[in-house]
Amino acid sequence: MASIVDVPKPRINCSMLSQHINRPVCFVGRVGQVHPNGKTFTVSDGEGNTATVELNEPLDTELSGIVEVLGVVSNKGCIMATMHNLLQENKAIPFDLELYNQALKVIHDFPQHYPFQMAASG
Amino acid sequence: MMLYCSTEFRTIKRLKHKSTCFNLQALFKGSPVNNPVLQLLDMRKLCGASGPPRFRLKMSDGQHSFSSFLLATQLHHLVEEDLLVPLCVCKLKKTTSSTLSDGRHVVVIVDMEVLQSAEETGEKIGNPVPFSLSDESVSSPQKVSSTASEPASSLPTEAPGPSYRNGSGRGKDFTGKAPMKAEPLMASPMKASPMMTSPMKASPMKVSPIKAEPLMASPMEAPSMMMSPMKASPTMASPMKASCSSPVSPAKVIPIAMLNPYQSKWTIRARVTNKSNIRNWNNSRGEGKLFSFEIVDESGEIRITAFNNEVDKFFPLVEQGKVYYISKASLKPANKQFMKLNNDYEMTLNSNSSIVPCEDSQGVPTMQCDFVPIKDLADRDNDAIVDVIGVCKSAEDVTRITTRANRDVSKRALSLMDMTGKEVSVTLWGEEAEKFDASGSPVVAIKKARLSDFRGKSLSASFSSTIMVNPDIPQAFCLRACFSPDLHGCLILSPVYMLTARSYFWSRQSVYHFFSTSLCTFYKDKGCLVWLVFLWYDQGGYALDSQSLTETGPATGSSAVNWKTFSEMKKDNLGHGEKADYFSCVATVVFIRKESCLYQACPSADCYKKVIDQNNGMYHCGKCNKEFPNFKYRLLLSANLADCWDNQWVTCFQETAEVLLGCSAAELGQLRDTDETAFDEVFQKANFSTHIFKNRVKLETYNDESRVKVTVLEILPVDHREYSRNLLSSISKLAR
Repeated sequence: MASIVDVPKPRINCSMLSQHINRPVCFVGRVGQVHPNGKTFTVSDGEGNTATVELNEPLDTELSGIVEVLGVVSNKGCIMATMHNLLQENKAIPFDLELYNQALKVIHDFPQHYPFQMAASG
Repeated sequence: MMLYCSTEFRTIKRLKHKSTCFNLQALFKGSPVNNPVLQLLDMRKLCGASGPPRFRLKMSDGQHSFSSFLLATQLHHLVEEDLLVPLCVCKLKKTTSSTLSDGRHVVVIVDMEVLQSAEETGEKIGNPVPFSLSDESVSSPQKVSSTASEPASSLPTEAPGPSYRNGSGRGKDFTGKAPMKAEPLMASPMKASPMMTSPMKASPMKVSPIKAEPLMASPMEAPSMMMSPMKASPTMASPMKASCSSPVSPAKVIPIAMLNPYQSKWTIRARVTNKSNIRNWNNSRGEGKLFSFEIVDESGEIRITAFNNEVDKFFPLVEQGKVYYISKASLKPANKQFMKLNNDYEMTLNSNSSIVPCEDSQGVPTMQCDFVPIKDLADRDNDAIVDVIGVCKSAEDVTRITTRANRDVSKRALSLMDMTGKEVSVTLWGEEAEKFDASGSPVVAIKKARLSDFRGKSLSASFSSTIMVNPDIPQAFCLRACFSPDLHGCLILSPVYMLTARSYFWSRQSVYHFFSTSLCTFYKDKGCLVWLVFLWYDQGGYALDSQSLTETGPATGSSAVNWKTFSEMKKDNLGHGEKADYFSCVATVVFIRKESCLYQACPSADCYKKVIDQNNGMYHCGKCNKEFPNFKYRLLLSANLADCWDNQWVTCFQETAEVLLGCSAAELGQLRDTDETAFDEVFQKANFSTHIFKNRVKLETYNDESRVKVTVLEILPVDHREYSRNLLSSISKLAR
């Protein structure tokens, strides 16, 4: 399998995890609890549901706020992260996860208008 | 008589037998009595010199009777509706007791319920004897009654007949004891004053032992005594003592209803419901400043005014909604013309006055609003004073007007809509107008707005009005929760509010119907500020939040935003009508003509006419018909804007062009003359920037050639959240 950077990664929320098992995804959520071992943390999506992210390497910095995780969904529904990016939040305009979630659903509801899969795999 | 006994009487009996002290006794000693059930024996109207009459009641618990009950003014309707007539049996749900300066006790009935009407009861229960607080004092009121010459000649109800309708026999026996006469009428100061000099003076000594009781030593707690015996501990008096700046006797917290100008040593404990701004006056007698505020306690309300030094002293201290101990202020008869409060007096603060914050606000009522549905305003009289609550659908910008008194005042009109689906315009004035923030469509409650027939029906929030934005009251939550679907309005915040809304307004089916159709219906009116949420029960039941779909810009408040794409603008033939059309769009600048972006304009103020260079260092303005040694640069930009569907040439004049370029006309003119690279850079920067453009579009004809001319009126930054919501709503609409 090509590097996760090169393949299409549908943006999903927690409720879509089960439909994307063993597939690369992009998940944007708010960091919840970070496990003391620094290798897993929880993220909540715009609907308030929580998913678990597992890292290959323990975190080397603090993690809080909005994070974008690229990874593959495990059989158990965890996201095995290849990489994660902390999104810098603008104080004046906070990241609107609910709004993001709505946009995300629109993308999934109308794949004919948002052909990201095809474009990226081409 | 026992034949007539009902449950309520048995309650009386039971109460009697159960407790060792009687209801009345307990009441006056301040011990907790839970909702005592008493029979009304007599009632008389006390007509003060000014203001509404008060009612003084004689009540009996079957064994004793006592006549120093005063009906709080808010209960007057009971009398007016003929519910409270002698012989009826009542439950006192809330009372406050207090001691007058001469040691007499008065119980103000703040809340009561008539359990059994007079007809049902029919007779006086038991054979009550006039109650007195101690054996010695039994005799004193009666003595007084015989000696006190009756100054209350103005009392129409002095004779037993009129006030006592149910039979002269009982009436006689009632008045024979004459406890009513014995007491000066404390609610009526006009009478109280002559009484003060009467033999009543002699009595305080006799009654004074009661004052020494620990409970009465802190009459501050009097209002709450009945409800919570815990608070009656003498220690409660301490916060006041401790924090009082001036030496005030901590002992005399009395209800507002008991205030009169003939008492001096009192303290009231009340909540500030409405605080005015500082106002300055300037007339023949000099100038000065004042502010006023209104306070409320369980018994009533009163207005307090402070002048000059007292303004400096108390204005920062007094906060709306907080509870204070207030003492040593002057009382004077209220000018009813200017004051709508239900009190015969008003208060003026003086240099001795003391206002001390009270930590324990329990039992002091918060602001009482009686909201009138906006729909019902149509039936109200002009100049009526009403309380309204509604969602602020839109707000005009602040404008300044000059009053007849030649004073500059800011004003701002809001449009409020409530559950009745009607809207009304409310005008705010002065500071309230300036600081009002309509963003997020707040729920606005206005107490004491004045209704007028200006432009149909409209409201004005005068200086005595209280404006509350998103107040923490149930009605506000309801409003947040409910907007009827046929208003293209919108809905609901969360499942919790949803339940409230449902129980109030909709049957279950209509709610489901509402939610399934709302997606289509509520975007219909683009101008309507639409927000909030809904629950897609049929699609998995998750909550989908959304907020303010339109009205992006802060300044676009008043008029409905007519969103169009450029392709829609062309397709809909905007501007082809007789009048110009207006629309807003989100668009990106793709090109700006650098050539002829600036022109040399007349330097005189308010003249934008292009000047003609005389080539002799002078510039001629054809409009002013003058020559000037200088000119000012003005912008006239021609820009090409594009959205996803089409593009359009537009014109930007001075103000909008400066916004677009982020640079003033003078600066740009200077750059053009001195630094061409920097000049170009200004345009480079502006290219491919995205904004909200508010445009005017009109078909114009030059030399037989018709062209749609689009002029930009306003450029606003894109709020991406708002814009996203707007797009999402459009998508949902298209998907249906």
